[in-house]
Amino acid sequence: MISILTATIKGVLRDKVFHGILFIACLFLFIPVASTFSLRQVVQLAVTLSLSLISFLLLLLAVFLGGTSLWKDMDRRYTHSVLGGTPVSRTSYLLGKFSGVSLFIIMTALLLGIIGFAAIWSTSIVYPPDRPLLWLNILCAVFFDSLKYILLVAVAFLLSTVSTSFFLPIFGTIATFLAGSATQEVYDYFQTEQGMQLPAGIKSTALFFYYLLPNFSAFDLKANAIYSIPLDSGGLLLTFVYTVVYVAILLTSASLLFVKRELL
Amino acid sequence: MKLIAILVILFAVYATLLVPFTQHLQTKPFLEKVGYVPEPLVVKMLAFDQRHAVAAGLIFRVLIYYGTLVEKKRITTTPPDDSSMRAILSVTSRLDPYNMDTYYFAQSLVWDEVKVRETIKLLEYGMRFRDWDFYLPFFAGFNYAFFLKDYKAAATHYTTAARLTGSDLFSRLASRYMYESGQTELAIGYLDAMIKSSRNEAIKKSFETRRSALLEVRRIEMARDRYREQFGRLPALLGELFDQGLLTRPVIDPYGGVFYIESDGTVRSTSKFAGRTENND
Repeated sequence: MISILTATIKGVLRDKVFHGILFIACLFLFIPVASTFSLRQVVQLAVTLSLSLISFLLLLLAVFLGGTSLWKDMDRRYTHSVLGGTPVSRTSYLLGKFSGVSLFIIMTALLLGIIGFAAIWSTSIVYPPDRPLLWLNILCAVFFDSLKYILLVAVAFLLSTVSTSFFLPIFGTIATFLAGSATQEVYDYFQTEQGMQLPAGIKSTALFFYYLLPNFSAFDLKANAIYSIPLDSGGLLLTFVYTVVYVAILLTSASLLFVKRELL
Repeated sequence: MKLIAILVILFAVYATLLVPFTQHLQTKPFLEKVGYVPEPLVVKMLAFDQRHAVAAGLIFRVLIYYGTLVEKKRITTTPPDDSSMRAILSVTSRLDPYNMDTYYFAQSLVWDEVKVRETIKLLEYGMRFRDWDFYLPFFAGFNYAFFLKDYKAAATHYTTAARLTGSDLFSRLASRYMYESGQTELAIGYLDAMIKSSRNEAIKKSFETRRSALLEVRRIEMARDRYREQFGRLPALLGELFDQGLLTRPVIDPYGGVFYIESDGTVRSTSKFAGRTENND
């Protein structure tokens, strides 16, 4: 499994997608200047832009690496040669690939986080904020963003195991991300007076998807990071456990499907 | 060779097109430029995990629009599309209720009773989130006292501001408001504070224009008070103050209006201290 993980990371580093993302990361250089457009919250805008850019880049990585990593190997028949000629089991292979992409996402988040921290710090030197920055909150926001995208990678892997082209893993992952980011808003809407009046069928369908799809709003700690709002440690722990359980379910399902899949 | 000639011609056509094209884009109405902004719930769902960045982006677009009007001094001839700007600020407050720029900019647009109620609502909404920030109760307190003459509500907000800052300045302000005296002077003081804390040139300019207008109002009020002392009645027309030598320099409304005195002695301007339209001239 370790050798698959190492090979995955090496493969990602050679990938053009990664180079493109590094190029987009140059936008961090403009954050201190762009933040000065704010009327009253220059540093807060620097944090907003840094976290948004990190989140966006991690989303691209999760969708493209998660969606193509496994599929590409199958398409090139690399999976068949590895699994046929070595004692590596299909489950180990899948977990190795997943761990490789996940580790790479964490490493990228760390790198982007350091660059983002530098952009925020340099802005805060010139424009001291009204409220002191809570660096731990910013760190937590980046970390939970990484967890969110690792969960998304798990979704992409599950879709890759049943797909014969890259369309389903890529677009299915994007659709899951969009839906998973909006489910909490929809759920909250159903709790309002207006939402209560909607037909029961619509509400139960929405509720079904609310529980089925990953709830990405739990990972959004941007407000806590930007405005130095205290974090709820209990909530963070719950979110962490939620991620572990959800990823485990996805990977187990993916493994079951992958074992039965015809690779020729 | 033929292709190169075609390319050169196309570039020439493009260059000719650029000037009117840019002008057309510049003169587009605000709503067309920014586009229709849907209900906050819809925007929130469409923004995914980027709602803070989307809110910052929308505020930025409003600021650019307003800033262009102020910087190019077109504000006296082209009134800003106030309702659209407020609609966007309402959306941004829902997208990111902690964003101070929304409240600060909304407050900078206030200068009449209609807008003030909306702004107070927005500020009171923001206070639920920015519970550490004295600016919001400070703004709300000023709006209640100065525009709505609701001194009880103003005092409540100033007490909150005093609690948050630990300073008795706001308590003193609240008590002064209770006496309903020196309203213009207080407004000038408020604007001085806002100008000092303002970083954005366009907003700063709009505050400075307002302060210039209020300084003129104060000058007329002082002359009016001296007139009342001398003649035991209020002047019916502004001209009487000039006739009696109580005003020497002409009074100029930077918003392009004409000052007048109401029957109860209140000094007003035909501009209502807002950008006037060409039709009103």
